[in-house]
Amino acid sequence: MSKVSMFIPCTVDVMLPKIGEDMYTLLKRLGHTPIYHEEQTCCGQPAINAGYQDKARKLAKHFISIFEHDEVVVSPSGSCVYTVKQHYPELLQDEPAWLTRAEKLAGRIYEMTQYLVDVLGVTDVGAAFDGKVTYHESCHILRGLGISEQPKKLIEKVKGCEYVPLNAAETCCGFGGEFSNNFPEISEAMVKDKVTNFINSQADVLLLCEPGCLLNINGYVHRHHPEKSVMHIASFLAGKEA
Amino acid sequence: MEVKTEKFREVANVELKNERAQAFLGLLPPVIGMMRDMVLKTFPDPVAAQELSAAMRAEVVANLPDLLEEFEKNAERNGAKVVWARDAREANEFIVNLAHEKGISYVTKGKSMVTEELGLNDALKAGGVEPFESDLGEFIAQQLERPPFHIVGPAVNVPPEEIRDLFMEKAGLKEPTVDPVELGYAARLFLRDKFHHLEMGITGVNMAVAATGTIINVENEGNIRLTKSSPRTQVSVMSLEKVVPNMADAMHLMRVLCRNCTGQKMASYVSMDTGPKKPAETDGPEELYIVIVDNGRSAIYQDRVAREALRCIRCGACLNICPVYGKIGGYPYGFVYSGPMGQVLNPLLLGLERTQDLYRACTLCGACKSVCPAGIDHPSMFLYYRAKDVEGDAGMQTKDRPTAEKLVMWMMTFGMNNSWAWNLGVKIVRPLFNRKAREGFLDIAPSKLAEGWFRCRDLPAIPRKTFHGRWKNLKG
Repeated sequence: MSKVSMFIPCTVDVMLPKIGEDMYTLLKRLGHTPIYHEEQTCCGQPAINAGYQDKARKLAKHFISIFEHDEVVVSPSGSCVYTVKQHYPELLQDEPAWLTRAEKLAGRIYEMTQYLVDVLGVTDVGAAFDGKVTYHESCHILRGLGISEQPKKLIEKVKGCEYVPLNAAETCCGFGGEFSNNFPEISEAMVKDKVTNFINSQADVLLLCEPGCLLNINGYVHRHHPEKSVMHIASFLAGKEA
Repeated sequence: MEVKTEKFREVANVELKNERAQAFLGLLPPVIGMMRDMVLKTFPDPVAAQELSAAMRAEVVANLPDLLEEFEKNAERNGAKVVWARDAREANEFIVNLAHEKGISYVTKGKSMVTEELGLNDALKAGGVEPFESDLGEFIAQQLERPPFHIVGPAVNVPPEEIRDLFMEKAGLKEPTVDPVELGYAARLFLRDKFHHLEMGITGVNMAVAATGTIINVENEGNIRLTKSSPRTQVSVMSLEKVVPNMADAMHLMRVLCRNCTGQKMASYVSMDTGPKKPAETDGPEELYIVIVDNGRSAIYQDRVAREALRCIRCGACLNICPVYGKIGGYPYGFVYSGPMGQVLNPLLLGLERTQDLYRACTLCGACKSVCPAGIDHPSMFLYYRAKDVEGDAGMQTKDRPTAEKLVMWMMTFGMNNSWAWNLGVKIVRPLFNRKAREGFLDIAPSKLAEGWFRCRDLPAIPRKTFHGRWKNLKG
């Protein structure tokens, strides 16, 4: 069995550490002994999005140096994985040696559900959940990495849970990092639509694979619909029968 | 046309509260988008069809100078007169002077985005030549003196009552009515009269075929055909990226364009002009002028990333799928091109300094890229513009970033490059950040800088231990 290295993005490290613990629990349950490089911090996505390419390039090199010797890297954030896969080679295109290292790593880093389903071939992770759930297709996961079936296959096998479809599941929730803070009115209109669709789905829980979307949608739900909850799929799958 | 790109936020916030705009935005873009998806399936392999058109547009951009020369040569061989306009002033001057030369008092126009870009209508009016838009929606928008709301439906958000009053006043509507057929008929009678006595018609161009010198227009109302075929003098205006290598490419691009634009397999009217009327022919204009507009595009072409914007075929598929456009409509973009297409094009045409919000009001969700038949990677273009602002680029008229942002970026990067600094930083920030937290959540901003977030959302307080801090316990 391959040695799995966990990439815990900065949002998870600081704001949502439970998601990291849940991913660890899940991987342990599947027989892995995940490793965690304590030097890791952030992939640099915020710097790229704000246009600070020079700074992002430094962070990319820092990240590559930490993870490049791992067989497999797994992360509970699709947009961070997308950053490594898509943006690192772009950032380093004028530095051939670094570009090679970036491309090697790009081939070995996976979003968590993608790793479970496509690499390990596992869909039943022994999880249980009592209730109705639906799934939000995060932009970078769906359109960036082409992941959509994998999380649903995992959800389907969870004991006791009923999956219901979400209307406009593939429409952006209005997060977009700095966008949500810089264009609050537009962002609000978008997240409101997302949550309205969630409520209309009759599901109790909205599942997703992206910490950014989770902060956004859950932030709105917490204020306006405290009876509902939004959950990262790692936490959902880590749950077992009581 | 008047540039209002700096007012993006202001206008967006007005539109968010405009119930009528919201009702249309909830309906029109998704419906066109659905029709598009359905009709794309009539291709044996829709994905391949889109990839093929993207490849064709990439080839055009790669060979643009040669294709334009080839087009000019063949168009002139057919008897057309090709005029190069370096900028809006040159294009407008040529057209207005031509109208003066011929003693023309009015023209009809086919819907054309490039003439909007040039501000041709204002130039014509200033020169004493009355322009009449002949596309129904554009006619309404023009009479109301409003910019287009949507690329395909420029006036789709205008209530019928307003159109009734407008037509009573300006288009000879005799009896007040809100019946769409009656209203359409009134516009038709009004415009037919204009076509009947027309001496000069002005249209845009969807495609200019280099190998044959042919210009192609697609439309659904027949007004472009009438504008092209009624008068003695036809003026067709194209931005220089409209050229395509040959008829086979043009046919495929047309099929892709119609599907992506209006969800049709083919538009109701397709007209191809290969030169003006020949001596033995009975129909068509005696003179055909093709005005090829640069207006900053040669400069854009020098930049290998920016030039990819020239792939655009103006189908508008990106508007219909964009979640931001879907909330604010076309007005906030403040220039002729709206939605993701405008977010890509307007900054290049107008400079980055006054289009800041256009390429920042984007979540980088990539929906636009996923439907674009020209293969434009909009999010990457926005990141490119953002990076240009940070680096500074006189040619692109960039705007320096705020000092506070630079400082935050510097600190964050330092922390991110050194995990000890990162962990220390979190320890220092945590109590400040959590000062106003209640039951594990913040519902007001810990700092002025984050007020936008808290407009409609809460945020979890920072837990006592980061994942870094928990790792030792976890691994046991």
